[in-house]
Amino acid sequence: MNSEKILNYVKQHSNADDWTLHISYWDSHETRFAQNGITQHIAGPKLDITLNVSYGTQSGSATVNQDDETTLAFLLKTAQDIARHAPEDPEFMPSAAYAKLPVVQNCDAETKALEPKQMVELVQRSIDKAKAFGATVSGMTEKHFGQSWMFTKNGFVGNSERTDFGHSMTLKKAEVETKVDYNAKAFAGFDLDKDFGRLQAQAEALAGMQSFDPQKIAVILRPGALQELLWFMGWMMNRRQSDEGFTPYTGQLGKPFFGEKFSWYSTLKRPEMVASPYNGEGVVSVELPWVENGVLKNMPTSRHWAKEIAGTPCSQYNMFIPGGEASETQMMQMVPRGLIINRFWYIRTVDAKAGELTGMTRDGVLYFEGGKVKHAVNNLRFNEIPHEATRRILALGAPELASAYSLLPAMLIDNFNFVDKTTF
Amino acid sequence: MKFLDLAMNAATSLGAEYADIRIQKTTDQVIYLQNLSLKHTNTEVLHGYGIRVFKDGAWGFAHNNVFNDEAVLATVQKAFEIATLSATVNKQKKLRLAPERSYIASYKTPVKIDPFEVPLAEKIDLMMEVNRTIKSYEGIKQALFYLVQHKDEKLFASTLGTRLDLMNLFIDPMIIATAVHEGDSQSRTFDEGGRAVGWEWILELDLIEKARQIAQEALMKVKAESLGAEQRRSLVLDPNHLGLTMHESVGHATELDRVLGWEADYAGISFATPEKLKNYRYGSEIVNFVGDNTLNQGLATHGFDDDGVPGQKWHIIKDGILNEYGSTRDTAMEIGLDYSRGCNRATYYFDQPINRIPNLYLLPGTKPLTPGELIADTEDGVFIQGRGSFSIDQHRVNFQFGGDFFWEIKNGKLSRPLKKIIYKSCNPEFWNSCDAICDERFWRPFGVVNCGKGQPSQSARMTHGSAPARFRNIRVGGSQ
Repeated sequence: MNSEKILNYVKQHSNADDWTLHISYWDSHETRFAQNGITQHIAGPKLDITLNVSYGTQSGSATVNQDDETTLAFLLKTAQDIARHAPEDPEFMPSAAYAKLPVVQNCDAETKALEPKQMVELVQRSIDKAKAFGATVSGMTEKHFGQSWMFTKNGFVGNSERTDFGHSMTLKKAEVETKVDYNAKAFAGFDLDKDFGRLQAQAEALAGMQSFDPQKIAVILRPGALQELLWFMGWMMNRRQSDEGFTPYTGQLGKPFFGEKFSWYSTLKRPEMVASPYNGEGVVSVELPWVENGVLKNMPTSRHWAKEIAGTPCSQYNMFIPGGEASETQMMQMVPRGLIINRFWYIRTVDAKAGELTGMTRDGVLYFEGGKVKHAVNNLRFNEIPHEATRRILALGAPELASAYSLLPAMLIDNFNFVDKTTF
Repeated sequence: MKFLDLAMNAATSLGAEYADIRIQKTTDQVIYLQNLSLKHTNTEVLHGYGIRVFKDGAWGFAHNNVFNDEAVLATVQKAFEIATLSATVNKQKKLRLAPERSYIASYKTPVKIDPFEVPLAEKIDLMMEVNRTIKSYEGIKQALFYLVQHKDEKLFASTLGTRLDLMNLFIDPMIIATAVHEGDSQSRTFDEGGRAVGWEWILELDLIEKARQIAQEALMKVKAESLGAEQRRSLVLDPNHLGLTMHESVGHATELDRVLGWEADYAGISFATPEKLKNYRYGSEIVNFVGDNTLNQGLATHGFDDDGVPGQKWHIIKDGILNEYGSTRDTAMEIGLDYSRGCNRATYYFDQPINRIPNLYLLPGTKPLTPGELIADTEDGVFIQGRGSFSIDQHRVNFQFGGDFFWEIKNGKLSRPLKKIIYKSCNPEFWNSCDAICDERFWRPFGVVNCGKGQPSQSARMTHGSAPARFRNIRVGGSQ
């Protein structure tokens, strides 16, 4: 694949008034294991070439996955034909112009060079450890190397490289199920012994589950659980949708809509996190507070909507939640009783305007009282409004990498609203 | 195509016990119109091939988008090498493949009007008119139209000697009207979830009339009241809503790979374990679920699955009892079956196929019963139309569903529209509470085109169906 060749083809043959070219290439290796055996094993490259063209305010786009001249001719003709037949777009935006991009380091040479044999050895070691523990393990080990480019007729030139390594393990022993998950741009930070040790400790803590009824109760959300919850909250945080009255954030910009202990940033300054230098519209990534000390500071804004409101376009390119210094033990001592939540599962919107979500706990819930873990309990369903929950934050732990894109702390929240329970 | 034979001969020469190649070209046309502004009009063509090699009880799957002899042979080699690597781990846990015969066959989704041949301008004109119709109602702040047309062309060959030439196609129009009123915002959606048909379906649908209906109902909904605290009530569910309910609480629960724990790390497992087969009361005696990958216009009606197994029809729940799973060649043998039900499907050429929900539907009631008679027979309840919020635990036991439009039922009549309604239930309580299903005159199919599952994640499609049905004594109330 040659990005210059593709670009030159578009430059030479397009007769459109404007165009934007996206090229993305991934080489991936994914080994999936379940119940102590490998069930899937996948390897190969993926290529996506997307061309968006416009004539005046009429636009259209096409995507292909091959870069020979016949396919590129098809790409160009298809995009141009669509644009010619499209109506005038009252919200049309010309392509992004030249911009200076931040320098980011999202690629790791060691991760890129990982061999299939090394990855299968990780799977074998995971299974060996599970067997030694009298358990079964399921998960996936994966590595990806990706390159992406974005060019526009108006002079935007962007390119970036990234690597991604992941190793997840769900352990089952008798009735106990629990999970740990590592995902980062670099393999170097992964320590299987440490991760399996954590998995084993979680499993041991979860033995002897007792029935627990749904109620409002304090929770310690571990980073994996918090990430799931905030991802949905962030998805609703859209400037246009809010300005038009569809989200809970309508009219809240600049106001203390969240709890004052809560801040949320996208940042280029944390080298352990992935930070894309630009988004699909060519909006350059900059340091941005979305929420600062409880005040709603910004919401993701498209280029078109920024023009409408005379604002600045921006996008959430990663999630950094500054933490505090409280340990899990200290958090347990701050409330009479509560639950430690490892992860959430199947979160969905119940009421978009209210910002209400539902979801289940997963992979381990622990009941604590008097500053100590007492026993594991069954999984529970919550119906909760996350921005309101941030007003009930009592303490924050130190931020941890929950995924390549998320650095966030454990969080102690009072009166979390559980409404139902399941049988396990 | 010469690459089929080249790949299979190479895999056999390397020592593969079984191998297949799937050359797949996927064409998607997506048009997304928001408030008369075309936000996304894209045609995507992804063309490549995936090669599976089975060796010593393990799979290797490699894919490529380069079509020449050298690339095909290199891809076979890669699949073989990683199968061999997998086998070093699987020494004590070898996978086995259910026996299957060879087929030389073709299948094409029957269409009268190929949607890809319909001029783009004609589609956009219709979509703009639908958008304008919705926007003409005062109080409607947003009109969306999302139109997907999707075609998969596959050539499949296996070392069993199978050669298949398949074409599957579907269309999925979705229209949303959103109203804002006194600090609230509510949407009403027309979404039948896609159907394996041609453009003739769009012409039959009368989308302008549908647009009027959803705009009016969005305005009714935003001004409606909710219910108070949760109470045990009767629920009457329309077929569209039930499509998603059965998908989550029956479809996924009876996928054999979940039952075996193969999805434990991500999508989850199932409470419907093998010792429950033929004896577990999943639902009341009137509950009969059929898996049917031969269903006319069904989204999972592909002729053959990606194991090269033909589409079949079987009872998954019979007279309320768990009867059988949806299976694949590699999952079936794990529970002692010597045949697959043909549920192995991949999304794109670069996806390794996995155990998927078939077309799955609830058989209609056997006694004459109209929806009107069903409502008239219900004293206190809620009638739910369409799909809304849905969430279920990873064992497929506890769930909470919303809907798209709600009516309170009082003394046998639809008394007032409602909003923000949710119900909570679980397996096996829910399907055992089913006490009435309307008859076959009212049976309707509804599709799901975005069924997410697997690592790496894949999105599959299938059709569900039912007639309106009633469920007694379910926890129903306003949200929060």
